[in-house]
Amino acid sequence: MSILKVEHLSKKIGKKEILKDVNFEVNEGEILAFIGPNGAGKTTTIKCILGLQKMNAGNVFINGYDIKKDFVKAISKVGAIVEAPDVYLYLTGYENLKMQASYYDDIKEEELTRVIKLVGLQNRIHDKVSKYSLGMRQRLGIAISLLNFPNLLILDEPTNGLDPEGIKEMRELLVNLAKNGVGILISSHNLSELESFCNKVCIIRAGEIIADEEINKIKNISENKYIIKVNKTNKIKDKDLKVIDDHYIEVIKDEEGIAKVIKELVNNNINIYEVKKETLSLEDAFINIAGGNKID
Amino acid sequence: MINLIKNEFIKILKKKSFYIVTFIFILYAILTNVIYKEMNVLNYFDGTTIEYLEEENKSLDLNNEDDLNIYVENLASIDEIKYQDNKTNSDKALITKYIYPLLIEKYTYQYIDKNEELRQEIDLQIKEYMDIIDKQDWTYFPKLEINNLENRLKDETNLINQNRMNDLIKLKEYRINNNINYDTNNYLNNAINTVELDLYEYYNLKNMNNLDDEQKDRLDYLEEEMTLNKYILENKKDILSSSNLNAVLKNFSGEFGLFILIYLIMISSSIISEEFNKGTIKYLLIKPHKRGTLLLAKLITILLFIPLIMIFLSIMEILIGGMILGFNSLSIPVMIYDTVSMSLKSYNIFTYLGLNLLSNLPIYLVLGLASLMLSTITLSTSAASTLTFLIYLVGNIIANLALTFKFKIFKLFISLHWDFSYLVNLNNNPYNIKPYISIIVVLIYLFVIYLTTYLVFTKRDVKNI
Repeated sequence: MSILKVEHLSKKIGKKEILKDVNFEVNEGEILAFIGPNGAGKTTTIKCILGLQKMNAGNVFINGYDIKKDFVKAISKVGAIVEAPDVYLYLTGYENLKMQASYYDDIKEEELTRVIKLVGLQNRIHDKVSKYSLGMRQRLGIAISLLNFPNLLILDEPTNGLDPEGIKEMRELLVNLAKNGVGILISSHNLSELESFCNKVCIIRAGEIIADEEINKIKNISENKYIIKVNKTNKIKDKDLKVIDDHYIEVIKDEEGIAKVIKELVNNNINIYEVKKETLSLEDAFINIAGGNKID
Repeated sequence: MINLIKNEFIKILKKKSFYIVTFIFILYAILTNVIYKEMNVLNYFDGTTIEYLEEENKSLDLNNEDDLNIYVENLASIDEIKYQDNKTNSDKALITKYIYPLLIEKYTYQYIDKNEELRQEIDLQIKEYMDIIDKQDWTYFPKLEINNLENRLKDETNLINQNRMNDLIKLKEYRINNNINYDTNNYLNNAINTVELDLYEYYNLKNMNNLDDEQKDRLDYLEEEMTLNKYILENKKDILSSSNLNAVLKNFSGEFGLFILIYLIMISSSIISEEFNKGTIKYLLIKPHKRGTLLLAKLITILLFIPLIMIFLSIMEILIGGMILGFNSLSIPVMIYDTVSMSLKSYNIFTYLGLNLLSNLPIYLVLGLASLMLSTITLSTSAASTLTFLIYLVGNIIANLALTFKFKIFKLFISLHWDFSYLVNLNNNPYNIKPYISIIVVLIYLFVIYLTTYLVFTKRDVKNI
């Protein structure tokens, strides 16, 4: 069942188009990795979803409710961290949690203990947040976003500041939540952090979604990236070959494929000096199977 | 909604700035009360020293008539100071009242009229009076004056003068019967002196026909002063004292109004902008509440905060002032002179304080909401607070200008409408504006300011960092 549905979302600031026709969906129990470099529009998308920014066109449905028309109902089962876990620094972790809980109807005291335990903050929860490290604030932020038993969790770069141990714990926590039917949207500029536990990937560049696929499709991928050094690149016409400069080209193929490319280059009277095999980054692999050399 | 308001109060009370301002307020209140206390010790000595007077006399040209008069006055003053040495406050006052004129006379005979015989006569008189003062027999002087007045009364035919003299006799009898010496720190003595001083002018003006505006104002003033002082003498209550807790509380708005403003601006100029600047607004805006509800909670917080901070500061001042000035004066009523009925209205000090603060409430409501609006529009706490102070200052300037320049356009400004303290003090509105008009203007201002805030707040994007 679809928990979050983003349809034709567009956002302009001034004349600049920040988001262009963004579409994706998060279903029950799914962990969607929302990947893109800084400035690609990840945070803006998240803010539009949560009603923190107005959209110029498009719709966002959470649990079937339109965020624009039915904000209170749409948002009530959402937990989120946007940009950073910005809580009140002059309050303790516990006071923060208690205050955030009081904005919902009947969240009991036991729930606070439950989420504190979930994120492992028991020992420091009564310290002022101003004394917390970024990692601890991140944990507190996750605790806050779990207070209202959300079925949609939106986390904006939650791994920032977390140590490897913390990332591992968070991963286990999120996988567990997903098993219980929570849909999770988690953004990052680096897919490798998320690939081990997400089941869908959505890549955004310059405000456009350029890939939106199941993660399984690349799990058993046999393609690799090859860098080929040649005497000249100006005669190369094949669209699969990406010219880097006068002497280097880049190509993503499996073993049979690279053999064909080499044969073709030879047939075209191009001298090959070197063929180097590189492991393909997940993002490149993704964009590749999503059918685009749309990068840049 | 109650939870939302409660949260806003937690945020206010958990911030350091609240306690820093409270600390400064306590220091300021201590200082203010100490100053009031010090006003009690009226130093009789006016600061002129014998050395100074002697020095001045050396420089005078005794052939010049004006200089000669100054010379004589200085000699009298030097003697007066010498006589007053080591005397009680009451005796010092007696010396000034009865000996100093004789000293002037004495030196006039000596240096101007050059009449040795009369001078010696006066000298004897001075000696006699000083002996009486030394014997602590101060009642001699009012008795002497009663005698004189009674003698003059026998020949007096003018009814007004007769009344005046009878009043004077009554005052002096009152002094003797109630054992009120001339101590300038005794409020009953001061009340007698004030009435004695005003009587002559008062009777004159009261029985004159065709008073001009200035004379009318003066008569109103005297009427008020006489009524208040007569009340003091009749009820033996120190209602005009300027050096007790009662006096500080009477001036509460004047002394501490600035602090109400500081607290208010501190809260209302940051209540929105700080959430945006620190990013905490994001958690707030993704809670299941409409933006309008969240804003309303903040508005109600400010509305509740104003009376609460007034009560808080009043209690602090009563405690601090009580410790410095004593709590006794709290039982003294506040007497307000009603210019229309020419009578006194009595308030309990707490009622008066409460009504005065209430009458200032519109000032703080308008400024609080203006600050909230500016904070929402600019998202800058410093800009919002500075601009709000500016509105307050400019408002006061316009209100003052409007007293002199009767331009109609001034009546559109809120600062001519937001202060209702004239009602509590039974004065006329200084701009001839009816209270209900002012109430309507204040409400319109509040509505427009809140509407603007609402529109900006509900439409605002939370910008990316």
